[in-house]
Amino acid sequence: MINSNFSRRNFLGLAAGAAGAAALAACGSSGPEDKSGGSSGGGGGAASYWSLSGEPGEPIRQAAIDRFNKANPDTKITPTFFQNDAYKQKIKTALGADQGPTMIWGWGGGGLKEYVNSNQVEDLTDWLGQNAAVKDKILPSSFGAATVNGKIYALPVETVQPIVLFYNKKVFEKVGVEPPKSWGEIMALVPKFNAQKIAPFSLGGQSRWTNMMWLEFLLDRTAGSEVFDRVFAGEKDAWSDPAVLDMLTKIQDLVKANGFQKGFSSTTADSNADQALLYTGKAAMMLHGSWSYGIQKADGGNFVKDGGLGWMNFPPVEGGKGDPSNTVGNPGQYLSISSKATTEAKDLAKKFFSTTLVDDEEKAGWVKSGGVPVLKNSDSLFTGDDAAFLKDMSAIASNAKVFAQSWDQALSPTAAETLLDNIAKLFQLQVSPQQWVDAMNGVIGK
Amino acid sequence: MTTIAPPVVRTKGSNRSSGGRSGSGSVTWMALPAFVWFVLFGIIPLFGVLFLSFTTWNGIGDISVTGLTSWKATLTDPGLPHALWITFVIMALSWAVQTPMSILIGVFLATSKRYRELLAVLYFIPLLLSSAAIAITFKALLDPNFGLGAGLGIDALNQDWLGNSTLAMATLIFIVSWQFIPFHSLIYQGAVRQIPTSMYEASQIDGAGRVRQFFSITLPQLKYTIITSSTLMVVGSLTFFDLIYVLTGGGPGDSTRTLALEMYQKGFQANLMGPASAIAVILVLVGLALSLLLRRLGGRADESQLEGV
Amino acid sequence: MSTITERTPSATVTGTPGHPRRKSRARGYNWFGGSLSWIWLVIVMLPIYWIVITSFKTQDTYFITNPLAPPTDLTFQNYKDVIEADFVRYFFNSVVVTAGAVIPAVLVSFMAGYAIVRGASNRLLRGMNWVFLTGLAIPLQAVIIPVYLIIIRLKLYDTLLAIVLPSIAFAIPLSVLVLSNFIRDVPKELFESMRMDGASEWGTMWRLAFPLTRPALVTVTIYNALGIWNGFLLPLVLTQNPDQRTIPLALANFQGQFGINVPAIAASVTLTTVPIVLLYAIGRRQLLSGLTAGFGK
Repeated sequence: MINSNFSRRNFLGLAAGAAGAAALAACGSSGPEDKSGGSSGGGGGAASYWSLSGEPGEPIRQAAIDRFNKANPDTKITPTFFQNDAYKQKIKTALGADQGPTMIWGWGGGGLKEYVNSNQVEDLTDWLGQNAAVKDKILPSSFGAATVNGKIYALPVETVQPIVLFYNKKVFEKVGVEPPKSWGEIMALVPKFNAQKIAPFSLGGQSRWTNMMWLEFLLDRTAGSEVFDRVFAGEKDAWSDPAVLDMLTKIQDLVKANGFQKGFSSTTADSNADQALLYTGKAAMMLHGSWSYGIQKADGGNFVKDGGLGWMNFPPVEGGKGDPSNTVGNPGQYLSISSKATTEAKDLAKKFFSTTLVDDEEKAGWVKSGGVPVLKNSDSLFTGDDAAFLKDMSAIASNAKVFAQSWDQALSPTAAETLLDNIAKLFQLQVSPQQWVDAMNGVIGK
Repeated sequence: MTTIAPPVVRTKGSNRSSGGRSGSGSVTWMALPAFVWFVLFGIIPLFGVLFLSFTTWNGIGDISVTGLTSWKATLTDPGLPHALWITFVIMALSWAVQTPMSILIGVFLATSKRYRELLAVLYFIPLLLSSAAIAITFKALLDPNFGLGAGLGIDALNQDWLGNSTLAMATLIFIVSWQFIPFHSLIYQGAVRQIPTSMYEASQIDGAGRVRQFFSITLPQLKYTIITSSTLMVVGSLTFFDLIYVLTGGGPGDSTRTLALEMYQKGFQANLMGPASAIAVILVLVGLALSLLLRRLGGRADESQLEGV
Repeated sequence: MSTITERTPSATVTGTPGHPRRKSRARGYNWFGGSLSWIWLVIVMLPIYWIVITSFKTQDTYFITNPLAPPTDLTFQNYKDVIEADFVRYFFNSVVVTAGAVIPAVLVSFMAGYAIVRGASNRLLRGMNWVFLTGLAIPLQAVIIPVYLIIIRLKLYDTLLAIVLPSIAFAIPLSVLVLSNFIRDVPKELFESMRMDGASEWGTMWRLAFPLTRPALVTVTIYNALGIWNGFLLPLVLTQNPDQRTIPLALANFQGQFGINVPAIAASVTLTTVPIVLLYAIGRRQLLSGLTAGFGK
């Protein structure tokens, strides 16, 4: 789940899981009358908002709420920020007990669909129809992952995050090679870097969704976006397409050729060790979300400033049918309104949506953090050191014929878990491509 | 061992209170506070889990009772025997590593030499760190690219410790031991100090050496402690979660995926609360079986000690 | 292993040819134990050393420096951040939760353990004991949602008490098991003689069994205290206001959205561990005598 897109820190995972469940939810479903615990908003012009803590998002989110509360002194939005894994646990427990916040932050896609099926979130279609001005300020491509059965259940917020191929220019110079323009060139580069004891690719394999990015791009470049669309639509045996076997074989070839650093399957994206491999020159390339730029810049010393970091859209595969302009990633982050909130709280949330979240300060805040906002007409704000990167990301996002949401976000959590599990085994060479296809066909539509 | 002078009080143990006819009516209420408390926050939720194992629920929506669907899915999932096996392997190996090490260290520290007291303080520190902090630390130290091996330039240390199935299991056992040996050696240290010096003096006169004393006096005298400490180790290992989750996430592949992790993934990542609850019930049953077994072993140990005396 | 050193030299002089090393036995150096203990010390201290030095590094030098090399440019920024993040409050919250849970848990478990042993023939008590055994392996993760609902019903959500109450319950099964095993070991004659003296069960429990059970009491106290001190799940689910955070929950917030800030975590781990290490160093003798004060003496 790219939920973690912003990198998941297992650390908290410790969070452990509340796996199980709930029991009394059944008995307790009558629901605690007193909403104090929950935050469901309460009355009197108050609403609650839960989101993720940490740089760079939290200060921008906090600033938006402060701005709104200042402009509307008689009302109050109360934010609570949680660390990523803790948030996932907390929101699930709270929603299960009808104690959720007024505004629910999320990643759209399959997770949102589950909220919709459980009647947890408001249908915003009509409201957006009446407030066309709000909708017009947001990139249309971002609404896809907010739409379930033709209806919009969340407002796209924050940033667009395509996945791109980053590379270390200095390492390429040292080895005397050029960045790859095709899959064939990638495979040809692998032994050249290995000979110099440099890992061709850095991969935070324990995080699993990092591995998945490879499948997403390779399948798209070989067969186009239609194959996964069929999976997404729940078509029987959709994974049995020969292009899938071809793609899986290519991945295992890359693993067998030592395309990834030693110990990639125990490297986590949360610790940013995968990022460090790239900026320390221990690895030459890395496929990662656009947010990686900010990390390289913050942690890599002068690496980004000195022009060490290069980036490009994933190169085409020879003979592939996919459009090389296509990309994958997060088309945005999403804010939903709880259907259990009071009318007053819902109205307050809508006011927040239609004013502060689409204003220019919001846009500027996200640009400053090194991200491409989901709000239109941001390009003029791309100035300074990050201008080149921001322009390229914006171009990749807007020029893409298809900007697909990451698989694990698009699918239901149940299917996504099986997918990630099998992807980890594929990279570990524990399953063959055919076994992978069989296992995945078994959960289509579930 | 006939040479051992038994501790004075233990000789009286032949007539123990457990079989006593003492007025039980007057003591029953003493168990009530613990019982009520535990029922409220332990058993009632447990019944909730049992109920959920017969339902289909994604954790946020409506709960629908679906009979044995979740149980069927759970019991036919090849992931279950695998997770049971991994749980068992971790339990057995970590016990087998920790117990002898803890006894040896506990015995060694039991003497009152100055430097050993300092050692005891230092040994104690791992106990104070949370599992998550320990996992992060070892992950950093064992990283093949940035860890110890790379930093010191020692190739032998530069293995794919957590990325290779067999090595990952061995590493996990090592780290579990690192974390819990301090606690268990502390218990043993206390227990060894409790052994009457007179027993050693008697065996000394009899010409027993250090090794023989260890096996003929120390070890038998530690029987109760071994049972207590083993119970804590074995039952504790069932619910290990934080450490494995951060360290390997159950990987590579599913090489370290225990029952507790399997349950977490089913319930909290895949939103299958029904099957996750079924796994939780299985986990509770395994725990119950183990504790009954351990109690039984404990009972036998009691008797054999009495016979020895 | 040399278990006994406090013996008189006279005990060693009876060496026979069959036991050449007898002579050195009492005073001799235990090479096996000695070397093992130093190797173990290195194994224990290496990660601790790493935590301490890393806490003085910055996030951007963390990956480029040798993991075991001391930081070249020492920074106290991590510590500053940790303290400014209201850590003192979190520390006290953790102390309150731990003490508030462990003390009642151990006391009620002791009472239950005593009752179970003394009333072994009572069916009701045997039934209760079974219930406790069932609870040994309840994974907290599995029952967290029901527990959450109960706490909300009790209107305790977002209070420290919300963490304390379930923590007590989950400490009970293992504590009862360990304590009852220990109490069972108290010679029955001692109970009889108390009874002869006219002591009530209540008085016998506290005046006779309690002191004799001290080693087990200390053991379960430490065991439970460590578990609760490091507990993450209950504070996460049962509280919300930052004022009610405990240390593990606060630690979690040192992870930025883009990943773990390892040096900051190292600093907070160091900072929260030092007081306990000091406490242990000071109270170690009492702790150890607590562990030894059974009826063996």
